[in-house]
Amino acid sequence: MREITLSQAVNEALAEEMRRDPTVFILGEDVAEAGTPFKVLSGLVEEFGTDRVIDTPISEPGFVGLAVGAAMTGARPVVDLMFGDFIYLVMDQLCNQAAKQHYMSGGKLTVPMVLRTNLGATRRSAAQHSQSLQALVAHIPGLKVALPSSAYEAKGLMKTAIRDNNPVVIFEDKLMYQDKAPVPEEEYLIPFGEANVKREGRDITLIATSSMVQVAEKAAELLAQEGIEAEVIDPRTIVPLDEKTLLDSVKKTSRAIVIDEGHQSYGVTAEIASRLNEKAFYHLDAPVLRMGAMDVPVPFSPALEDLTVPTPEGVVENARKLCAGELIHAA
Amino acid sequence: MAKAKTNTEDYLRMYRQMVRIRTFEDNANQLYLSAKMPGLTHMYSGEEAVAVGICEALTDDDRITSTHRGHGHCVAKGAEFKEMFCELLGKAEGYCRGKGGSMHIADQSHGNLGANAIVGGSMGIATGSALRAKLQGKDDVTVCFFGDGATAQGLWYEVMNMAALWNLPVIYACENNGYSEYTKTEEIAAGSIMARAEAFGIEAHQVDGQDVLAVNELTQKLVARARKGEGPFFMELMTYRYHGHHVGDINRAYYRSKEEETDWKDNRDPIIRFRAFLVEQGIATEEEIEAMNAEIEKDATEAVAYAEKAPYPPAHEVDMHVFAD
Amino acid sequence: MPHDVTMPQLGMAQDAGKIVSWLKSPGDAVSKGDALFEVETDKATMEVEAQADGFLTGVSAAEGDDVPVGQVIARISDSAEDDDAPEAAEPAPAPAASGAGDLPEGHRVTMPQLGMAQDSGLLVTWLKAPGDEVAVEDVLFEVETDKSTMEVEAGRKGWLAATLAEAGEEVPVGQPVAIISDAKPDAPVARSVKDGAAKPAAAEAQGQAEPAPAQPTAPKPAAPVAAGGRILASPKARRLALEQGLDLGRLAEAGHPQPFHVADLEVLRAMPERGASVAPAVAAAARRLTARAAEDGVAGFADWAEAQGLTRDAVLAGLAGASLGRDGAVVVAVERFGAVTVFDVPQGRALSGVTPSEDAPDLLVRDLRGTRLASVEMGAEDVPVLTVTAEGDGLSITLECAAGQLDGPEAIRLLSEFAGRVEQPLRHLL
Repeated sequence: MREITLSQAVNEALAEEMRRDPTVFILGEDVAEAGTPFKVLSGLVEEFGTDRVIDTPISEPGFVGLAVGAAMTGARPVVDLMFGDFIYLVMDQLCNQAAKQHYMSGGKLTVPMVLRTNLGATRRSAAQHSQSLQALVAHIPGLKVALPSSAYEAKGLMKTAIRDNNPVVIFEDKLMYQDKAPVPEEEYLIPFGEANVKREGRDITLIATSSMVQVAEKAAELLAQEGIEAEVIDPRTIVPLDEKTLLDSVKKTSRAIVIDEGHQSYGVTAEIASRLNEKAFYHLDAPVLRMGAMDVPVPFSPALEDLTVPTPEGVVENARKLCAGELIHAA
Repeated sequence: MAKAKTNTEDYLRMYRQMVRIRTFEDNANQLYLSAKMPGLTHMYSGEEAVAVGICEALTDDDRITSTHRGHGHCVAKGAEFKEMFCELLGKAEGYCRGKGGSMHIADQSHGNLGANAIVGGSMGIATGSALRAKLQGKDDVTVCFFGDGATAQGLWYEVMNMAALWNLPVIYACENNGYSEYTKTEEIAAGSIMARAEAFGIEAHQVDGQDVLAVNELTQKLVARARKGEGPFFMELMTYRYHGHHVGDINRAYYRSKEEETDWKDNRDPIIRFRAFLVEQGIATEEEIEAMNAEIEKDATEAVAYAEKAPYPPAHEVDMHVFAD
Repeated sequence: MPHDVTMPQLGMAQDAGKIVSWLKSPGDAVSKGDALFEVETDKATMEVEAQADGFLTGVSAAEGDDVPVGQVIARISDSAEDDDAPEAAEPAPAPAASGAGDLPEGHRVTMPQLGMAQDSGLLVTWLKAPGDEVAVEDVLFEVETDKSTMEVEAGRKGWLAATLAEAGEEVPVGQPVAIISDAKPDAPVARSVKDGAAKPAAAEAQGQAEPAPAQPTAPKPAAPVAAGGRILASPKARRLALEQGLDLGRLAEAGHPQPFHVADLEVLRAMPERGASVAPAVAAAARRLTARAAEDGVAGFADWAEAQGLTRDAVLAGLAGASLGRDGAVVVAVERFGAVTVFDVPQGRALSGVTPSEDAPDLLVRDLRGTRLASVEMGAEDVPVLTVTAEGDGLSITLECAAGQLDGPEAIRLLSEFAGRVEQPLRHLL
């Protein structure tokens, strides 16, 4: 099968959906000729014109608001938010407006829009261009949240997001845009709420999102050398969350580590760990561990920044302790 | 009074719609005062000519976005009393199945995209609706209602900029009732509000918001031009709210005088003025108007009684409509 | 149709308003918009307007009254004569605590909370009668709780205007039991808790009307005994142990390192069987050993011993006591056909020193030779038990004891020694 980059995969998904559905259009800063700073959208304006690939002023709340209004009246906008960190700027439009319209109107209004943005540290971009803020939006009822972990996932999830009748926020890891993966030429969709078991194992479950899936897979390889068989699961979407697949795996392995690049406290890892505790407690042979980004603003210095995110070695160390039955954080 | 129109039916409908708004609000106020209505609400009484003058210039395909003070817009855009009172009382037959309430009534069938409880919160939605119309080659126009208080929100300047850049068919209708919640407008707005729109190259008009014909005539012209791609436009409608910021805002002496309120009610009331005009022009007799008022009052009384008896939504609807299928 | 006049809701967090003054009198003609009365709330004073034309009737609230929001206080009727009192206010005013109803005014003496987990008290007796004058320290009534009986004092001077419970009734804690008025009551009241004075109790009873969900009936195994208190184990290890009847306490006792995980259950399974199904703690730690003697040497020996003035029980006691091998005397009980005889057995082998005793025994010999019993497994008792049964021409001897009573070597020594002596008692004397 051919291999393409995550960036190309997103580009293909958008192009295919725009060809299929004339109500789909792209809105954001420097999305047209510039094709965004990461060049993800390069070439789209040539095919679809500036009416469907629309450059906006630097007005995040404004253009997200426009997308909400367009979506409520019959269009399917895909908004490009240049950095995930800018999500703070659009919270009212996203969380008070887009997320609640369907509910507040008793089901009469719908907001079929996609907000695509990114996450991920270690690009030396410092505190305001490196955050992974998926937990913020996952907390809000009415928003769906997808976290692609490869080019293949990025394409399938984007196409599903565009066809969904709800506001969907997709976070792409900005460090993965050039990562290649096999992506079929034929059309495919990846349904929301279906986790992907990337690797099977009997000793411990590693649940990881976005680029942390790579971290987990690397950790699983290292663990295999020690005779520990780790199962790696990518939930793909955290809202909706495929609880069943996660629970089934943990019931089998009795141990789990949840890895996500958002801050560890009050985060995605905490939510998933909590559900495992509630629903698989009597199957756990060790505490479920969370591994998120450190609870610090992302520092600039590479020497410091690299310390803040989960690594395969860190996952291996924790997995080893859990499998050895070490006393973890007990009083 | 603006120049008379020739269409008697239009005039009578505008009068009727204004009285319907006033009657709706009087009944809503009573429901609140008698502790039958949960939550709180913001009365539109006094501003009827704005909503009616504008909405009478629109079709069902045209959209509006409304505000926390939104009952007037909702009635003017064609909503029914029964579903509105049901919504106010949180009943299943309300426009939003009781999930929205006073501050979130939406009536999509008549192009009302909903009231918004965030001041200025719907400015993006209205502009986005206009962007959609332009992209899809439709000729509908979107009117964005907001108050003078919302002009302090940054979102407005962001969306006006884009609307002006892209000539979007949107009309920003600022209902300037002189008060931003409990504060005089001149204390929160520097310079001229009109000039703010003009700074983006947007054509701006100020109009007497108590004169339904003047409002209607201006809106007709602007809507027609917006349909042709000459938008956006800005209207500042000078008006007054008779009640406080919300029901329960009764001690208002610290921000405005009783004399001022009495002056607006006695001398500038949009309904009294238009009624006098209709009689003077021979369009309707006093008796006909009284009969119309009585009929509207009866409608409202029946709708309130219906809503009071109507069932609440069943418990299983609580987590329905979080996501669309 | 008359139009209700209600106390309006004026503020965001207001639940009542005070009527400052009525601006219209009952029977007055009013027009819609006329000011009817003035209301004072936390925020301001305002006039309330008539919402209909008609006549003011049925005024039920006076100037100075605090009226709950939404309560009907008057009507606007079609005629001035229509002066029926308005229907029950809606929403109903909050019921006064404990259904005051027509009770006299005064200070309420409530059922005191005496214990930490007490929710009602039994009114034993009244020491004052309704209408009595009372002083601060006068005892009003006696209360009995699970712990004790105590006297409840009036707490203030006045008259006992009402008693709200009768002697012998249970009264929930905090519920009024008496009312003490400042003035001599005209008509003192005596009521029972059942007379509706007990609203909270009624409400509580209703709340409990629904039967509690049935408790799961599966028997719960005894909590595992931990050597040093709590056992640290994973939820899964605990669940599997529970399902498979394994006792994590044995792992703890054996000093296996905690926390226990599923893998440690293998170690537990490999430990020797010890009748885990028998349950309680003592049984869980029991020992049982069996020995055989080729022939019953005691039977013949006893005849000889009797001639020396020793009973056959004394012989058994002597043989058993010596088998314990302790320094100093031991007390041995012998049970035969249900009768128990206790002996002091001095150190040494001399059976002549064995004498009757009334002390608590260190060891019990159960002589079942004359019965059909072949073997016993009774579990450990307060002291080690040696049970002797017939087996062919010989004997079977079983030692049962708790692990803490004898350690392994002691148990083995006791049983082998005793078995040897009953087989050949003469050897004992040599």
